[in-house]
Amino acid sequence: MKLLLFNNDKLGVYKGDKIVDVSSALSHTKFYSSQDMMNEIIANFENYKSKLQDIVDANEGVSADSIKINAPLPYPNQLVAMAVNYMEFGARSAPAPINAFLKSPDSVIGNGDTVVLPAADAAIFHHEAELGIVIGKKGYKIDAKNAYDYIFGYVNFIDVSARGLGNGSFYWGKSWDTFGPMGPCITTVDEISDPQNLDIKLWVNDTLRQDFNSNDMGHNIARCIEWVSQTTPLEPGDIIVTGTNHQGLGAIQDGDKIEIEIQNLNRLTVYVKDDLKREWPKGIDQATADRAAGRTTSGGFGERN
Amino acid sequence: MKLLLFDDYRLGVLNKEGKVVDVSSNIENFNDMPPNRRVVEVINNWSKYQPVFSNSIENDDGSDLAGHKILPPLPKPGKMVCMAVNYMENGTRSEPAPINAFLKSSNSVIGEGDTIIMSEQDAIVFEHEAELALIIGKQAKNANSADWRDYIFGYMNFIDVSSRGLGAPPMDSFFAMKSPHTSAPMGPFIVTADEIPDPLNLDVKLWVNGKIRQEYHTSDMAHKIPRCIEWASSITKLNPGDIVPTGTNHRGLGPIHDGDKIEMEIENLGKLTVFVKDPLKRKWADETRLERQERGEEVTMAPRIK
Repeated sequence: MKLLLFNNDKLGVYKGDKIVDVSSALSHTKFYSSQDMMNEIIANFENYKSKLQDIVDANEGVSADSIKINAPLPYPNQLVAMAVNYMEFGARSAPAPINAFLKSPDSVIGNGDTVVLPAADAAIFHHEAELGIVIGKKGYKIDAKNAYDYIFGYVNFIDVSARGLGNGSFYWGKSWDTFGPMGPCITTVDEISDPQNLDIKLWVNDTLRQDFNSNDMGHNIARCIEWVSQTTPLEPGDIIVTGTNHQGLGAIQDGDKIEIEIQNLNRLTVYVKDDLKREWPKGIDQATADRAAGRTTSGGFGERN
Repeated sequence: MKLLLFDDYRLGVLNKEGKVVDVSSNIENFNDMPPNRRVVEVINNWSKYQPVFSNSIENDDGSDLAGHKILPPLPKPGKMVCMAVNYMENGTRSEPAPINAFLKSSNSVIGEGDTIIMSEQDAIVFEHEAELALIIGKQAKNANSADWRDYIFGYMNFIDVSSRGLGAPPMDSFFAMKSPHTSAPMGPFIVTADEIPDPLNLDVKLWVNGKIRQEYHTSDMAHKIPRCIEWASSITKLNPGDIVPTGTNHRGLGPIHDGDKIEMEIENLGKLTVFVKDPLKRKWADETRLERQERGEEVTMAPRIK
């Protein structure tokens, strides 16, 4: 099932290209936010599943163009992002030491929304296409062997990054408002047979930038869940984003249209606005790609025009 | 006013005698709200609730705090934005470190009487960091430092428990170091801003097993509160009920161990007591960073001895 939020507080399910409003499945309960509503659905999905399916079967749905799709987890309690977690098409001899950071829940935006570049003097702003893992069950100190028991579903995520601020500080680089595009939907686990074998693609203005497979991940999904949950208990509605392959990162700038599509997770489209109208070369940032692959240890980022 | 959550997440206010008055019934839909939202509701609508609560504490004898379980006043904050390296270390720094912050997981929160359970991961040492925490009262986005008071609802004791060396240093490893479960003792109360006329003129103290470890003054803060709010809110908006711990003076930091009792008190914010459990019963030298520094030790973090 592909679950989404739309028109702020409506719960929807994709039926082909159309979207069926299934909000009536939870009309008896009062929620203080749409995140709370999604957490309830996720935590108790087994109770809701057939009810949702019945509503989907009985309705035709509306076209996606006629509604506003929101991020499916609009304000996650924990948005944990894996750092440096790809083998860069096998260029690395070993995975980087496992590491993560928290991204502000206020960074989350949804389909059709706009990434607003701050005036801060970053060297460059990058898109990072990532597979997001949506947690479905409470767990602490989870063993990698059982990690898949804790996954509810998968979602497209773009970890927008401001480089060169605060000497590598993740708060400063990653937590800007609007720097967490997510969606359009959460695809439940039963529809993804092998999450470690998914094509991940990202386009800027219809030109393909990132094109990699989740099989190139440094620390695999099970290990990420195990490691993150050593530190903090995970709960339904939390999300772990699993890192990006840096080969293919490039600048984002005013007026850009960014699309990400992971196999079977549908396509997410967002836009970019920069009041300062800064310009970088369009295309791939080769300096970053070379550094991430270990072809060089020095150098900066793609130079601003 | 001193606000707290107690027992089964009832909302309380302390009266003049320091007894707790249950004001939950004044809040619409109180029982339907998740615990953290109960407090955020009050913060959001303070001008409405303030006179009601004032009246309640005038006319209610309340009951002894000792008869209640005190809970963390914000059990699941939307965000905790913690300032990093933000003291002048009693003036020994020539200039402030570059301003920086990190997010701490809301799942790390514990309250009065609770226990810090040390991670079994192989940290270099686990240290207490006594901090003055700001409670945000109004949404701040690109806030102007001159307006800082507009955004602060109140103040609270906060201990930023730190598991040194976890993660992948020198990469920013704040997640593994600062977000372990039970690493954010806070409370026992939120004290509203009107009772703290000058938050940059407060004594901060922390004891381990009755022995003073940290004793410093908030006037030694490097990037002052107005700047912290301006800078942090330039990156991510700060919302009512978000917490901004303002950093610690590191000189009195020292190791925490299984069985320790930690107490922290900032002037007028009450005393917070928590305990420590280490399933592995590890031992470090019982010294502060300052003591080691004064003895000429190069590594000021206490070494492990067992």
